Amino acid sequence: MTKYLLRRLLHGLISVIIVVGVVMMLVYSLTDREKIFGSDPMFSKKTSNIRETYKYEQWELYGYIDYVTYNEYLLQLVRNGDITETQRSAAVEIAPTAPKTTAGGKQVVSPFSEDDSAAASEMIHRFVEHYTAKGYTVVRLNADYYSKRTKKLNNGGKQVLFTYKDVPLIFRLFSYFGHIFTVDNIHYVSEETDIGERKLTFTLHDPAYTDPDTGKSPFSPAIIGNGTRHRYLLYTDNRFPFIHQHLLNISMGTSFSVNKGVDVFDTMTLTQGKYVKSLITYPTGLTELSADDLHSAVYIEGSRELSETISSRFDSDYSNVSTIKASKSKIGFSFVIGIISVALAYLLAVPLGILMARQKDKLIDKIGTLYIIFIIAVPSLAYIFMFQAIGRSLGLPSIMNVNAESWKMYILPIVSLALPSVAELMKWLRRYMIDQMNSDYVRFARSGGLSEGEIFTKHIFKNAAIPIVHGIPASILGALIGAIITERVYLVPGAGNLLTNAINANDNGVIVGLTLFYALLSIISMILGDILMAAVDPRISFSSGKAR
Amino acid sequence: MNEQANLIDISDLGLSEEELFSHVASDTLAAEKITAPRYSYWHSVFRVFFRKKINIVILALLALIILFAFIYPMFTNYDRFAHVLTEGGKHLSPEKALELHAGDNPIHWILGSGGAGESTFDAIWVGSRISLSLAFVCALINMVIGTVLGAVWGFSKKFDIVMQEVYNIIGNVPYILLISVIVMILSASFWSLVFALTITGWLAIAYFIRTQVIIIRDREYNLASRCLGTSTLRIAMKNIMPFMVSIIVTIAATEIPSYISYEVFLSYIGLTMSDISLGKLIGTAQPSMFTPGMQLEFWAPVAIASIITIVLYVVGQNLGDASDPRTHM
Repeated sequence: MTKYLLRRLLHGLISVIIVVGVVMMLVYSLTDREKIFGSDPMFSKKTSNIRETYKYEQWELYGYIDYVTYNEYLLQLVRNGDITETQRSAAVEIAPTAPKTTAGGKQVVSPFSEDDSAAASEMIHRFVEHYTAKGYTVVRLNADYYSKRTKKLNNGGKQVLFTYKDVPLIFRLFSYFGHIFTVDNIHYVSEETDIGERKLTFTLHDPAYTDPDTGKSPFSPAIIGNGTRHRYLLYTDNRFPFIHQHLLNISMGTSFSVNKGVDVFDTMTLTQGKYVKSLITYPTGLTELSADDLHSAVYIEGSRELSETISSRFDSDYSNVSTIKASKSKIGFSFVIGIISVALAYLLAVPLGILMARQKDKLIDKIGTLYIIFIIAVPSLAYIFMFQAIGRSLGLPSIMNVNAESWKMYILPIVSLALPSVAELMKWLRRYMIDQMNSDYVRFARSGGLSEGEIFTKHIFKNAAIPIVHGIPASILGALIGAIITERVYLVPGAGNLLTNAINANDNGVIVGLTLFYALLSIISMILGDILMAAVDPRISFSSGKAR
Repeated sequence: MNEQANLIDISDLGLSEEELFSHVASDTLAAEKITAPRYSYWHSVFRVFFRKKINIVILALLALIILFAFIYPMFTNYDRFAHVLTEGGKHLSPEKALELHAGDNPIHWILGSGGAGESTFDAIWVGSRISLSLAFVCALINMVIGTVLGAVWGFSKKFDIVMQEVYNIIGNVPYILLISVIVMILSASFWSLVFALTITGWLAIAYFIRTQVIIIRDREYNLASRCLGTSTLRIAMKNIMPFMVSIIVTIAATEIPSYISYEVFLSYIGLTMSDISLGKLIGTAQPSMFTPGMQLEFWAPVAIASIITIVLYVVGQNLGDASDPRTHM
């Protein structure tokens, strides 16, 4: 059994990798990469050549291409000791204009110009030779003159020389899976930075809980790192599950447009809503009413020099903190609504399905069938709007408000999710039960003198429920994904709309991350469904195919 | 004694001996014949289908919808912006719209006017035409590919191994993503949406057919048939196909309305076609859902979409039931 399940899990994981590969091909190779700048405010501010280089920089950041500028190449050579600093500074300045040549039917600027200084010309030849041999494309952009006569440049119009190469899909796939799990270690901060002794310290009295009056901290074990990315690698607090860690970090894909620079996993799990402010003692001893979560501190090099606020609060560069908010995370909202509606659906559908099967072709069965037809045939959008309209007329809140939570606002989303699944469950349960009703064992039970009620609940239901049981893990885990329409209609701040938002904003990192998440959930719920089915029905076994 | 009196004397009938008695030879060929009422499959299907009176009503409703969706727009030459310049012609309730366009044929304005002063009634039928065409075209393509490949998938074990993997992988690629990428690459036209919905849409149907084929393939009568040397093609066509007809009709019954629903859903999340469809109408009119006097703009297409899908579903289900030979008794 275990061997079989492990094999299936492994098989599933391979499928997941292929799925992520297919999605990467869809979003990186097949879509227009210019589109990712559609909603980028930084992009629209930039003009001329700077705008071009900004594009390449961002593409490099988000894994489309490998991008090297001429300057970077020279600096690299200096670091390797191939050329000296004086040689570099002599060669770094390239001529404003280079002649145009035709390559591949298009007019492009030649990388070489007769106006380049001798030193520059030599280095440019080396640069072009080095990178074209590796399959890179060299791009040179001429200075963008505002006025040719005065030699005044347009904003950002300085001449540039760089080279780039598309990152192949396989490489991208491997580097993605290689970076999903990262273990935080004391070599995270660049070795050139002096931050004192790199070490992990275990303390029983977490300094974040220091009482401003007494200067002492209550018992609160924590592991604090120096040289790591996170300051706190392990800590305790009063929020579920009470012990938290930053040692093993998950990164599923960084957002570009929806939530710039933030990982999908964090987007899904960080709290939302109003700030929860409390009296906080910062590492410098400053006490302030703030919502900052000191435990989330992340190292940002040189951050204290940038802002006075940061330097007054923190005594090290572990200064990038997230804030504590009052409401649930995106996944939290989706899961609460989803799980209650799943429970409600099973609670309603099982007795109703049994009743329909027992009263076959009578009034209750006909009403139930009508309801099932309604749910299956009518567009889901239409009946969710209908539920919303009905709920509104009953005085229930028809949209969610994160800042003023009340249990009432959960009613309509939960009902809208539960009622359709009731129909779906009822349909199958009725079908399975009616199929079982004509079996020999039922006739035998009846001839043995069992009451109809006993036959239905103890015999028929037990057999009919087996295929229904298979879907339970899928519906529970599905609650984590959220529901697109329901969450949009009721403005639930849940996880259901992440994918559609990411698609609309061409947020490739998020799309890939979510695909991985969904695919994993689907694989796991299939396997759990099989296990559960085998647990309920002793006739089902996953041991090796030998007949018993 | 009385009995004897009732007997008829043969000679009174005036018939010759040969007319009364003649020898009938035994016919071995006729003896082999089994007499049964003539059975025609499709004749029985329609007999069973029309036995239920409700089906006639629903079929009439379907005919009416198709008439309105495909014939009515031909006569109206709908142009969304034809009335855009009419003063005070936007977002009107039926009474006001009828008042404003008093000289016009009143049928256009019985549902009021929309955001560009256009007739809601006309818009609904133009939208229905596009939505229905999309549903029929997509269902046709998916059903044909799905059934053929599903049958092969069910019969061939080698193909099964490959297709299981394909199914696992494609099934986990988010459908919305696939559609939006295709729409982005091609264009937001009718045919690119058809392409997007059919490129992987057949897979679920094929999988369903495969399972059904596997169930029937190994039944005893097929085993017997194979033992007697029947070719696989003949088994597929003569032994299995009759079973599949009702299943195929039932799938089609859920497929066609599901594309209408899916199009509504896609429009709602922003994946709209350039043509006017029911989904697009619902999506654009969503803000006027609760606005007094403007609700019809939203609820009318919702109602029509629901009626169309219910009618198609019920007709399909009942036709599916009727095409099951077991109901032909």
